[in-house]
Amino acid sequence: MFPIRRRSFIIGSSACLVLGSGSKVLAQPAPSMRPHEKELYEAARKEGGELTWYTAQSDDITAQALGRSFESIYPGIKVNALRTTAQVAYQRITQEIKASAIQCDLLSTTDIGHSVALKANGALEKYVPDNASKVLDVYKNYDPDGHYFVTSAGMIGIGYNTAKVKEADAPKNWADLLDPKWNNNIALGHPGFSGYVGTWALTLRNQYGWEFFEKLAKNNPRVGRSINDTVTMLNAGESAIAGSGPVGTLLESVQKGNPLAMVYPTDGTVLIIAPSSIMKGCKHPNTARLFMEFLLSEGASKIWVDHFNETIRPEVSASKGAKSAKDLKIIRPTVEQITKGIPEVIKQWRETFGV
Amino acid sequence: MTDNSLDVRTVQFSALASRVKRLDASFLLWLVLIALLAFLILNPILRLIISSLQETDTGRFTLANYRTAYGNVRHLQSLLNSLELGVGVALLATCFGVPIAWAISRTDMPGKAFIRLMVFAAFVTPPYLGAIGWILLAGPNSGWLNKIWMALTGAGHGIFNIYSMTGLILVIAVTSFPYTFVFTSSALDLVSSEMEDAANILGARTLRTTLRITLPLVTPAIIGGVIISFLEAIALFGAPALIALPARFNVVSTQLWQFFEYPVRVEEAAAYAMPLLAITVLMFWLQRRILGRRGYTSVTGKGGERRMIALGPWRWVMLAYALLVCALSVFLPMLVLVQAAFAKAWGRGFSFDNLTLHNFYYLLVEQTQAKQTILNTFVYSAVTAFAAISLSLAIAYVVNRKLVPWSNVLAFLCVAPFVVPGIVLAIGFYAAYAPPPLALYGTATILILGFTTRFLPIAYTSSAAGLRSINPEMEEAVRILGGSRLLAIRKVLIPLLKKSLAGAWILVFIPATRELSSAIFLVGPNTRVISVMLFDLSEEGNFEVRGDLGVSLLISTVAIAGIGSKIIGRDFMLRSKS
Repeated sequence: MFPIRRRSFIIGSSACLVLGSGSKVLAQPAPSMRPHEKELYEAARKEGGELTWYTAQSDDITAQALGRSFESIYPGIKVNALRTTAQVAYQRITQEIKASAIQCDLLSTTDIGHSVALKANGALEKYVPDNASKVLDVYKNYDPDGHYFVTSAGMIGIGYNTAKVKEADAPKNWADLLDPKWNNNIALGHPGFSGYVGTWALTLRNQYGWEFFEKLAKNNPRVGRSINDTVTMLNAGESAIAGSGPVGTLLESVQKGNPLAMVYPTDGTVLIIAPSSIMKGCKHPNTARLFMEFLLSEGASKIWVDHFNETIRPEVSASKGAKSAKDLKIIRPTVEQITKGIPEVIKQWRETFGV
Repeated sequence: MTDNSLDVRTVQFSALASRVKRLDASFLLWLVLIALLAFLILNPILRLIISSLQETDTGRFTLANYRTAYGNVRHLQSLLNSLELGVGVALLATCFGVPIAWAISRTDMPGKAFIRLMVFAAFVTPPYLGAIGWILLAGPNSGWLNKIWMALTGAGHGIFNIYSMTGLILVIAVTSFPYTFVFTSSALDLVSSEMEDAANILGARTLRTTLRITLPLVTPAIIGGVIISFLEAIALFGAPALIALPARFNVVSTQLWQFFEYPVRVEEAAAYAMPLLAITVLMFWLQRRILGRRGYTSVTGKGGERRMIALGPWRWVMLAYALLVCALSVFLPMLVLVQAAFAKAWGRGFSFDNLTLHNFYYLLVEQTQAKQTILNTFVYSAVTAFAAISLSLAIAYVVNRKLVPWSNVLAFLCVAPFVVPGIVLAIGFYAAYAPPPLALYGTATILILGFTTRFLPIAYTSSAAGLRSINPEMEEAVRILGGSRLLAIRKVLIPLLKKSLAGAWILVFIPATRELSSAIFLVGPNTRVISVMLFDLSEEGNFEVRGDLGVSLLISTVAIAGIGSKIIGRDFMLRSKS
């Protein structure tokens, strides 16, 4: 098996060399690779050079960028990045476990409750990455047993369409969303789909009680699915305010030229801590380990920052135009609250919003 | 074996062989077909029914699932919403489809080829893509139509609200009226003018003749179209997720989705899906009652002439109506989608510095799965179409010619999958075939099998409609002269049905390319199809790339269908009449 793979790899990469595009790709990885990394890379190549990655941690563009970056560092390995909402990814995983046909190698969710539940069911593979100790302290040690690690973080604030709302009139804090002047003009995601929205709703429930959402419902908001739906609604001009505004997706949309802006609420921006884990019984465990190292690396954090998400490495600083979590007032629930609270919030949401 | 059955017969001597001979060889084939149906439909649906009566963990008999599924006002409301949606879509689609079919098939309305092409384009458009277009057109605050209305009248707010039941009905009707159109027009194409002439001679005018003679003659086709659009409407998942959720109401399919959230409650979902099965039974019972024992045989092999009715100035009225329907279903939504596809930031609207091809670059170069996804979609859909047509033709034949006892059960089985919402069908499939021993999870096979089952009703309805109009006496002639049944099918039936079959192929192929609700549970990471990718992208706010993928889907489908029509020649669903 191996000689053929190597031969085809050599043929393939020489083809790249001939075309003049492969030289950089080929030369780059070897010298900088640490022994452990190299070991994983060799093992990953033997596994077939492929990785299936279910991710809810970013939009598709960012997920693809991470995948392409990994492929260029570790030539010969292909990353299939499948971006969905957290609940959809979780659904697929539970399906696969039921059918005992694990397709997913690495799961990156935005609902840490999923990781807790999967670990409890023995569905996760234990692996402590080398890089786990090198991330910022706030992202360390979520699972001392080493089944899941925080690989990204993002924030939720309030977004608005600058063509419809002047900066001075925009909401300053979460309570401002209840102002009747935003009747029919607020866009929200749905906790039954989005892990971000679930955590956001839980955080605000912690802060203001469920009454907050009962009042918010009176403003007749548009309920989408993903948290990113709110950005769509703003871009369309259908809603003026994104009640659950994902900082990363929104700022990326601004960069494209859409007329949007971000408010970091004075009573606290919601920080989402999003973990990744390797599936037990997956087809490419070594590739998954290598990818886990990559997600925790400086390079991955640079890509996250380029797409306006948080860095999880101390070496990388926030991108221009975006604020970093460390400079803001942050609110967030504990892991226990999330595990117990999100199913409750979904139920309450259905009663209050009718969907 | 089939080819030389004639020769074989003449040289058979043994007693065994003659016994086999008496058993008409085709009978064995039918047995195989029945086994296939059991595999595709009976087993997954039975599994659902059984699991609706089981406790989740122990598997013991219980009715608790039904209590939980219906013990909630919101769940009952969703059921009513779905019925309203289905009836609304069926009526609206009939109003759209039947007049256009009549105008194209029987009158001298100008611009027929163009209208036909547009109907085809509407058919190719997946409902969730149309829904996006319509959100941009008729969003209460930002929709283009509303903005135009406000600019024209100076009104403070728009008049259209896509986030409503009416909006959802419209969005689904404009993408599903082609079913009604195709059914009706292919039936009308077979009706000769003799009976209309008789009515004219007796003094009836065009309108009266049409309403009393022509349309009643094709009632089976119209009712078939009504049923299909009703069932399609209540089984859809994508468009309701985009429109009903923000409008804050649920329909059965979005409600079902909730049963599959963590913790997954397949048993409750199964219980909740049962009334839909009951509705199918009811609808087909009704169809039988309405059609009764009246004869609709209009193709007899005895010739008959067809002439176009001269409408005079009314032909322009018909054209205007057809164009209006096309505008609702194609021009307007496509306009906004194409704008998004080529825009850097579609929120900025039309302007030359806002145009880019980068979205296509991203899709075809950076997004490494897009190419594979596009290829998957077309391969799976083509295979599905062949499988579904072969199976359904065989079954329609058995049913129509009453070759085996209880053939009506077969007919029911064939159409039953349509009413099982794609999501539920997929779950049944998943439960039956994903785990070992078959272990099909994540394979192309399970998707193709799932699609074949899902679209068997369409394939069956059109095969059956085609068969019903063909008088058995032509085959009987073959058999009297000593030919086998298979020979009669090959030499008489298939050539007569060629047009219908090509049409049926397209009728399955296209919905398969746009099928979302069953695909979403059956795809694995390497077997993704465009619909699933579009749906995933729809959660993204990334309209530029979505518009692109949508446009690519439409262009490729139209191209494939176009090549198909060249190969098949004029014998094609949307062919031009010479």
